[in-house]
Amino acid sequence: MSNEDKGKWVGKGMKRKEDLRLLIGRGNFMDDIRLPNMKHAAILRSPYPHAWIRGMDVSEAEKLPGVRGILTGEDVEKMSKPFSVGVPVPPKYYACAVDKVRFVGEPVAVVVADDRYIAEDALDLIKVDYEPLPVVMDIEEATQPDSPILHDNIGSNIYSHRLFKYGNPEKAYEEADLVVKGKFLFPKYGSTPIETYAVIASYNPYNEEFVIYNNYQGPFVTHFLVALALGIPENKMRWIVPTDIGGGFGTKTGMYPYIALIALAAKKTGMTVKWLEDRREHLLASSTGTDRVTYMEAAVKKDGTILALKDKAIDNTGGYIRPPEPGCAYRSTGNHTGAYQIKDLDREVLVVGTNKCLTAPNRGYTCQELYFSVERLVDMAATELGLDPAEIRFKNFIQPGQFPYTTATGGLYDAGNYPKAFQMALDIIDYKKMREEQQKARKESKYIGIGFATVVDPSVTNIAYVTLALTPEQRAKERPKSGSGESVIVKMDPLGKVHVIASTNPQGQGHETVISQIVADELGIHPDDVTVSDVVDTHDRVYSITTGSYSSRFASVGTNAVVYATRKVKERMTKIAAHLLEANPNDLELKKGKFYVKGSPDRSISIRHVAGTAHWNQAALPEGMDAGLYASSFLSMPTSKPVDDLDRVDSSNTYGFVAEAIVLEVDIETGEVKFLKWASVHDSGTVLNPMLLEGQVMGSCIHALGGTLYEEFAYDENGQCLTASFQDYLVPTAMEVPKIDIGHVETASPLTALGSKGAGESSSMSVPVAIGNAIADALSPLGVTIDELPLSPNKIWHLIQEARAKKD
Amino acid sequence: MKLEGKYTYKASQQVVWDLFNNPRCLEKAIPGCKKLEERGPGKYDAILKIGIAAVRGMYSGKFEVLDPEPPNRYRLIGEGSGTPGLVKGDGIIEFSQEGDSTMLSYTGEVQVGGLIAGVGQRLISGIAKMMIKEFFRKMKTELKSLK
Repeated sequence: MSNEDKGKWVGKGMKRKEDLRLLIGRGNFMDDIRLPNMKHAAILRSPYPHAWIRGMDVSEAEKLPGVRGILTGEDVEKMSKPFSVGVPVPPKYYACAVDKVRFVGEPVAVVVADDRYIAEDALDLIKVDYEPLPVVMDIEEATQPDSPILHDNIGSNIYSHRLFKYGNPEKAYEEADLVVKGKFLFPKYGSTPIETYAVIASYNPYNEEFVIYNNYQGPFVTHFLVALALGIPENKMRWIVPTDIGGGFGTKTGMYPYIALIALAAKKTGMTVKWLEDRREHLLASSTGTDRVTYMEAAVKKDGTILALKDKAIDNTGGYIRPPEPGCAYRSTGNHTGAYQIKDLDREVLVVGTNKCLTAPNRGYTCQELYFSVERLVDMAATELGLDPAEIRFKNFIQPGQFPYTTATGGLYDAGNYPKAFQMALDIIDYKKMREEQQKARKESKYIGIGFATVVDPSVTNIAYVTLALTPEQRAKERPKSGSGESVIVKMDPLGKVHVIASTNPQGQGHETVISQIVADELGIHPDDVTVSDVVDTHDRVYSITTGSYSSRFASVGTNAVVYATRKVKERMTKIAAHLLEANPNDLELKKGKFYVKGSPDRSISIRHVAGTAHWNQAALPEGMDAGLYASSFLSMPTSKPVDDLDRVDSSNTYGFVAEAIVLEVDIETGEVKFLKWASVHDSGTVLNPMLLEGQVMGSCIHALGGTLYEEFAYDENGQCLTASFQDYLVPTAMEVPKIDIGHVETASPLTALGSKGAGESSSMSVPVAIGNAIADALSPLGVTIDELPLSPNKIWHLIQEARAKKD
Repeated sequence: MKLEGKYTYKASQQVVWDLFNNPRCLEKAIPGCKKLEERGPGKYDAILKIGIAAVRGMYSGKFEVLDPEPPNRYRLIGEGSGTPGLVKGDGIIEFSQEGDSTMLSYTGEVQVGGLIAGVGQRLISGIAKMMIKEFFRKMKTELKSLK
């Protein structure tokens, strides 16, 4: 490619190719799919958080005209196996409750009927005899031996428990001048994608094959898991995802039990069965992030150097544990020390069960939980040492010259310039001036606070990390796991137009647009000449355990696959052109749609001629070359290796950086928070499309704003979920969104073809603690400590009253 | 959810006690009560149809009067379930003569589950208070009809 073509499209805010069809209502979502003779399912759900199912009578429901069949827990137990999960003693988690319910909303039966109305009416006619049991709702109570036990086969509510030591924390503690401690509570919040879960399943008894339409984010590991649960080989289960998915954010990785459930309903009734989750079902029983209790302490020198971290973190995966959990506890292993040079760690990790809804990744996948503790502690250390919270961060940052940097826990940070990005955030808010204004405001009894978070943003999961749930000895008995591969096929047709087949399965991120930009740059063509089909069909796509859109994979490993496949096509085109021009391939250059022989501008051949030859005149191809014009790439990142014997792992493969700087004012009479300034600076490597990146960053900020100030899946002490509608589960609207100034530092990743890395989760990890730090800073004259979320006006007001009472 | 309140009836304590132990009067006064059957002494089966937004639906339930100390107090427990979910209650009703009137006071706790717990539990105490008020008002009408 000549220099004038290079970078023509990548890096530009090209408009989304997806938008026209979405704006004119021609998207293709799950609910747009109409299959012949399709029936409709409704799911009966448990009103009890913990109860034995002593009996179930479906006879009245079966008699209702239009009902085609009912699937019960008894059927599910006979027709399938519990889902496999990587913990020492797995609970028996079926697609539907078998003999016991363990959270409100757990499925207990499925009615299949001619329409959804009839199916819903039939649910009312099913009689279930429950014997309620005592509940356990508190994370720490769940670990106690006398708490009600959810799973008798486990014998306790502890699903996973590991101890880790990295470096020499004892020595670090001896050298430290100060130990700062805190206990932090992170709430259970989630994502509320516009499109909820949806499944359409059918079963063909003649070839014993399932065909299942769904809006899953994978296939990821779960196609394998569902096949295993259904007792069939993977090639007997075809998953098809429509062109458009209305949001995922990790929440949709928790939908596979419903894929199995509806598949079983289809098999039992012999019908094609559709189920579309309603909003109440989604809020009650789809999937949320984990709530976490963390005890964390930092061993610090007087000058602010953080030597060691010690923590005990307890995650709560609810009534059961299911894959990709216990990933919640291990996902952030490689970046546990965040942006800092901390060498020594002592960790205790627990994953427990309570009578709450189940969990799965939620945008940021427990990095918000991690950084809420780490970054609060950094501020607390600064306060105790009389240091500026910005200064202590600069002091501990990994420096630009230290990359690639291997963390104590095995993370390999590819690239970054943390001081530069943080300085940019400080400049945007005019930090020095803000401190002066804060002082002035305090004299007028106004409470302004400044909060930072400087965090490492991991992207591209290395599936190896789930095996951290096992001890090195237990792991040694199993085969190792590792990988992060993504596949792309690039085809050029006889007229020189390109079609790209990917299976990254986007949920609105704009992959079609970015793929077109990349291919256009690589081949010197126009993005309009590139079409993309980027959905999963497990029978006609190339995929593996790692395929899908989660852990912000696309900008790193997805684009790698696009670039490398396109370059292979270009290499073949060059060979064909050289053959036709009777030149050496090394002497050719591609410019404005033509291959030229360097130095002889009159000797050229167009892309169209080359492509036409590959298809129409195959005898003219160089000897031994395949006919047609296509290539594929399916590479894992080279850094995706198994966990080592010392429990170190590069849990993600590329690591971006986020510096959040927030200035806000707290009204101490009402507890309300008003944002004055908000800078969000990101280093996600080379920017592929600034418009799309801005959308992702803005989305991650607002998503986290919800988790910080408004959203929580709340339960009463009896285990009833209090937030099963948007009336009580408060999601921020445009009214709550302040002005956010976004900045970028571009440090190219050496691990990706274009230098780019993931950014879709980014601020969801940094915003909760940045706001927490700012509120703590604002209220520091009152002696208020911030150690839990969400910070509703009510909670802030109570904290102020408590602090005042203590002072008096 | 905790509930408590007081209500005054212009009648002797014994008359009010009898009124609050009379299944026919209770059937008429309990809001939405379609049927109230005495299964045994102090034990009732009931069917209720409630038409208020968040709790709309048919409920079938059981009530039981425990530890009666006529004419001073009894404990009332009940549970019901229906399309919108579950309700469970446990309360004490006390009667005391005040001049020519009888003061009735109640304290109790109600637990809800299922749909009504997840959707609009915030509304439920309001609805419960409204229904209780209606019940005591209707009992006044029943008292008149007994006289």
